[in-house]
Amino acid sequence: MDVPAEGVEGENKQPVSENKDEAEDEVKVMESEEPLDDKETSEQVLELQELEEALSNIPPEPPSVQNKIIKHVLRLDEFPPSYKENTPKERSIFAMIENFRLQYAYLYPDRKPLILCPLNECRVQKSVCTTLRPTLLNYPETYSWDGCASFVSDYLIMEPLEPPTDPPKYLYSSSTVLRFQQGTCFDFAILLCSILLGAGYNAYCVSGYAVKELCLQDQSRQQCPHIGTRKQKSQSAKKTPKSKYSVKPPKNLNSSFERQQAENLAAEERKQEEAKKRELEQEQPPPDPLHGLRVHCWVLVLAGKREIPENFFIDPLTGLSFSTVDERFLGVESLWNHRNYWINMQDCRNGCKDMTFDLDDNVKWECVLPTADEERKEEVDEEGDHEEPRIFEMPSSWVRKIEISPKEIKLRCPGGRKVIKYKKAKLEKFSPYMMSDGLTMRLTTYQDIECTSVVEAREWFSHRQDHLEERKLKKETVVTTEYFKPGRTDALKSHRYLTMVPGAERQMDFYSQARTDGLASRVELSSEMRETFEDRPDFLYFQHVVFGKKEKQHVPGSGETNSKPILKIIQRFHHNHEKAANDDIAEKAFLISDQRIQLTYHREVDQIIPPRKDFFRPFISGGKQEPKVNFSPNLMISFQVNPLEKPVKNLLLYELLTNLLEDEIRAKNHVKMSENEVQSILALRSQEELESKLTISVYDTDRNERALMHRQELEHAKQEERLHSAEKELDFLAPFLIQLGDPKNINFKMAQQLKEDCLSDLKRRLIDKANLIQARFEKETQELLKKQQWYQQNQMTMTKEDEDSYLSYCSEAMFRIHILELRLNRHKEQAPQKYLALEEKLRMDPRLAEYLSK
Amino acid sequence: MSRLYDTIEPNVVSDEMLQQAVQEQGPQGQAGIIAKEEGILFKDVERLRLDYRNILKIENLWQFTNLTKLQMDNNIIEKIEGLECLVNLVWLDLSFNNIEVIDGLDSLVKLEDLSLYHNRISKIENLDNLKKLQFFSIGNNDVDKLENIIYLRRLEKLEALCLDGNPIEQVEDYKLFVAAYLPNLVYLDYKLVDNDTRELAGLKYQYVIEELQHNENLAKTKQEEEQKEQEVLQLHKDAFVEHLNGPFLFDSLFAEDTEGSKLVQLPEVVPLLETYRSKFLELCHNIFNNGLKQHQRRQEELKAYHEGKEEAVKTNQDIGASKVAEFDPVKEQFHRDIQEITDEEQLKSRLAQYHSDIGELHNSLMMLEMQLLEQLKDISEDFERNMTEMVVNFIEYVQGLIAQLRDLEGNYNEKVLEIAINTLEKAKRDEFDEDIPEDVRMLFVDKDTVNNAVSGSHDMHLLKIDNREDSIVTRANKWCANVVTQVHREEKTRNRNRVSEINQYTNHLRDNAAKYELRHAA
Repeated sequence: MDVPAEGVEGENKQPVSENKDEAEDEVKVMESEEPLDDKETSEQVLELQELEEALSNIPPEPPSVQNKIIKHVLRLDEFPPSYKENTPKERSIFAMIENFRLQYAYLYPDRKPLILCPLNECRVQKSVCTTLRPTLLNYPETYSWDGCASFVSDYLIMEPLEPPTDPPKYLYSSSTVLRFQQGTCFDFAILLCSILLGAGYNAYCVSGYAVKELCLQDQSRQQCPHIGTRKQKSQSAKKTPKSKYSVKPPKNLNSSFERQQAENLAAEERKQEEAKKRELEQEQPPPDPLHGLRVHCWVLVLAGKREIPENFFIDPLTGLSFSTVDERFLGVESLWNHRNYWINMQDCRNGCKDMTFDLDDNVKWECVLPTADEERKEEVDEEGDHEEPRIFEMPSSWVRKIEISPKEIKLRCPGGRKVIKYKKAKLEKFSPYMMSDGLTMRLTTYQDIECTSVVEAREWFSHRQDHLEERKLKKETVVTTEYFKPGRTDALKSHRYLTMVPGAERQMDFYSQARTDGLASRVELSSEMRETFEDRPDFLYFQHVVFGKKEKQHVPGSGETNSKPILKIIQRFHHNHEKAANDDIAEKAFLISDQRIQLTYHREVDQIIPPRKDFFRPFISGGKQEPKVNFSPNLMISFQVNPLEKPVKNLLLYELLTNLLEDEIRAKNHVKMSENEVQSILALRSQEELESKLTISVYDTDRNERALMHRQELEHAKQEERLHSAEKELDFLAPFLIQLGDPKNINFKMAQQLKEDCLSDLKRRLIDKANLIQARFEKETQELLKKQQWYQQNQMTMTKEDEDSYLSYCSEAMFRIHILELRLNRHKEQAPQKYLALEEKLRMDPRLAEYLSK
Repeated sequence: MSRLYDTIEPNVVSDEMLQQAVQEQGPQGQAGIIAKEEGILFKDVERLRLDYRNILKIENLWQFTNLTKLQMDNNIIEKIEGLECLVNLVWLDLSFNNIEVIDGLDSLVKLEDLSLYHNRISKIENLDNLKKLQFFSIGNNDVDKLENIIYLRRLEKLEALCLDGNPIEQVEDYKLFVAAYLPNLVYLDYKLVDNDTRELAGLKYQYVIEELQHNENLAKTKQEEEQKEQEVLQLHKDAFVEHLNGPFLFDSLFAEDTEGSKLVQLPEVVPLLETYRSKFLELCHNIFNNGLKQHQRRQEELKAYHEGKEEAVKTNQDIGASKVAEFDPVKEQFHRDIQEITDEEQLKSRLAQYHSDIGELHNSLMMLEMQLLEQLKDISEDFERNMTEMVVNFIEYVQGLIAQLRDLEGNYNEKVLEIAINTLEKAKRDEFDEDIPEDVRMLFVDKDTVNNAVSGSHDMHLLKIDNREDSIVTRANKWCANVVTQVHREEKTRNRNRVSEINQYTNHLRDNAAKYELRHAA
């Protein structure tokens, strides 16, 4: 915000005022210094209007900024009065501050002028302390400091300071900054500090000096924080403490001297390599001519509140935290919160390394507004122009409440996307739902510092209906890895592949708990397939299939080629502890091409050699319905560990063999099923990739299309109803127009005719209606009379019930007659009115109006 | 029973009958042929059906040790017998027989299903050992008393009971009674015991059942307590210091010592005895506590040794197993080669090579075993040394304390002697206290008697203490020797097993190779 500055701060060379009375003069002096800042006189009101006009012409931002910064036009009438004027309290504080500033400038003429009371967007002088407005945002993201910091750094676009060695002359309110979504590091820091103070942190804005990278939000020399492998199950090498009775290792008969020599050599080589590598990587940036002069503003969080154990800095531009001794922060000029302003009196020649942040220490930190005990001290000193010891308090903030809508919180970056360059990496962030494929983040890592050759591209997704979470593409090997969240019907967890074509090399991991077959992973190579399982009731945990060459045979009809012949299937099983180890099969190897089946059993605890049984595949005769296995004990070679054990009986062997043959068939089927599954998963995946759908929470009213549709439907229905009711007001002329042959234009005669017809029709209908009512009336009366006569005749012979029914009939009939009478009367009254109304309506009808109104 | 079995020829369970039954009920088809060729051993049979055979007596079944299901229904059996060997039996059907008494089922602890339907039983008894019984059918019998139901309470797993067709059915509310007394029962007479019945029964027999339950609980807790006590005592015994935490040893000093206990009744001795007792008990307590501590340390030592050994064996085993597994491809390769090679010379050289491979495997495995043997020898020697040292220390400590006990006893004895002599003098002067009983006065006749009494008592006490010391020392030493020999024995068997395993395997490999050789020669 580099508006051509009028008031030069250095101008203020007045002696330190001695009396209380002069305090007001001081204000005036200040006003005179800065001619645009005035509210005191009526002339100045006029000037303000001029200013308004002038301001609307002045572009508040310089055009020459690296980032594409939009020029914003400020309209003064948008701002509340607190932006445009100062309260008396503020003014007296200004006097205080000015007094302090003068003293400071006098005592330390070679220090840079402080940023104390810059102009705001209305060109009104405001204290930096009151620019802070502690605000608590009601979002879970902004509850902790790191969430706040990353939000601020994402939400705003940085403008560099111009010139980079001076603090800005103008300091906008946070609400304006939020509106334009851009600002200098000072705007960043003030916004962040306001939010942190609101969230209960003991936070301060720090004005000082930092290295170029920090000032310009340049992270291209830093490691990207997102680089790092996915969370692998940490295999903590648990080393049990050496037991008292652990054995000595066997004697090593190799020469330790030779080994050492070799190690030394290797270490030397490694070192050299590393050094070379480091050299390559650490191409030092060109020295900065403005090193140590670049002004920067950041946030300091002091320990104590919100369980913060140690002081730290937050760089608002990147949202990262730094230690207070970080060498990238070169010096501190001053710091402030919404209550007070402190000036650093410590030496910053070594950066911030030796600084302490004990703000109560008067030697190291000079505060602008004296605190209570300082007040007393100054009184004793009898120095300065103190009248009565009075505690000055910073007035409350002039800034409007900081408001951020939930939508903006979700959108985060301006325009929903943001690109950060890191060392050998580029990070692109997208707000959720912005990209049609649900992409939220893309990290591209490069081999070299110039970012030309890509090593790896990683993409993160959210809200995908196919539960895709992350995709990783290695450029060198062209291997793509996709990671999925739990919830897919095929329980796919990750998928590594070269191409999506079936039969290619790939690895699929599954959420084994979600699968009925407990499959944990399936690796396919050109002629192999390995599957691992977890927690299966049959203790199977590994299956390895070796395929032969594909048979060049096309099955006519089906477009597919024959699947590859299976050469061997190996299944491994965990030990079922309910069985004796030597009776529990550990490995079944179906050597289909060799016509053999090999069994290996588990080892007993104290054995090293497992028992084995080798079967030669028997000849099977007897057709499919009743296969007959020609068994003979010669078909088997068996090894038993215990020489005393009796050989197994033939019957059991026969049963074992038949079971194994069945198992073999089952295993073959399983392989076929696995292949089919892979194919179907691949088909599904490519389908999903083609039209990536995003899931939308039922609570997301903005995006939930069904809800939206429902709402629209409701609206539609309402509209239709309105239309319907409108239609109800049918054209009363239509039947008469049709009688006239529905003419396009109506002439006078026709109009007259229409009117006549209409009115006569109405008249007729009214009369008809009256007649109808009359007729009913008469009928009722007739009936009643008849009944009465009948009653009088038969009165003597009547039972009680009959009499009662008669009486009730009478009262009902009387009631009906009465109603009819009333209706008739009312009809008679209303008929002329209706007639007149129709006449009026006819006259007003747009089609007839011109002929009838005359 | 309407069946008149004297009109029918009773049958005998003969070998022939069993053979036939086994074969009929054995595997069918191809498997049956194989089984027949090979013959089926009775001990391999798991199920056997001997129904409708007019068997009078259960016999000759002792070979069927693995039988789990036996059906002998519809015979004329009169007594349950000859089932003692069938310990794996789960299912036993003896329905439609002429059994009068339940008996002879004590060894069938795995029995879950027992059917005695349609017999002549009038009392349910002798089922105490059948803890796993779930289904019990005793319908169509002569059971008439409700007490039989209470007997069934001890079968905690019982879920289904059939009492159909017994005189007991005539008893009023018999179903409610059953439901109340057998709360775990799910089915009675093939019908579900529903909640309504259970509630009704609960209300009706509430007090009786509660009392019963209370008594049962009391008995149970008592049993548990006893068991716990037993365990604690066992622990103390293992630590060789049982009963030393109480006055047991002290009391035993005076238990058989008539003179001593008489002397105690002297008024002057009473306070003396008190201090003696308290000091004595304190020392005993020290021995006791130290003993427990030492015991724990010994156990820990033992555990540490076993852990160390197991770990060493495990790592060694893993190496060995991987070596064996590495040999598999060599073997496979050999088998493949041998089938392809036709040249005699080549074959011979290939065989020679394979043999040398086997030899190499054998050597490396044996080497590994030798190495482990050395390692284990080291640690077992360490262990032996440490353990012996520990036991010796313990014994020395105990001996020290027991010497103190002896000193105490000597001290006490001296004082008692003094008092006794004083009393003797008093007695001579006839100045006896009034409250000394007559038999004590009898001691103080002359000096010799007094001396004899006192020294006799002293000797007795010393003897007891010595005995105790000896018992601790010998037992501790014996235990130590046992542990050490045990360790050695275990190691020896382990070593032998391993060596035999290795030899067995290499022999097996060589034999197989030789087979090929023969085949080729032929």
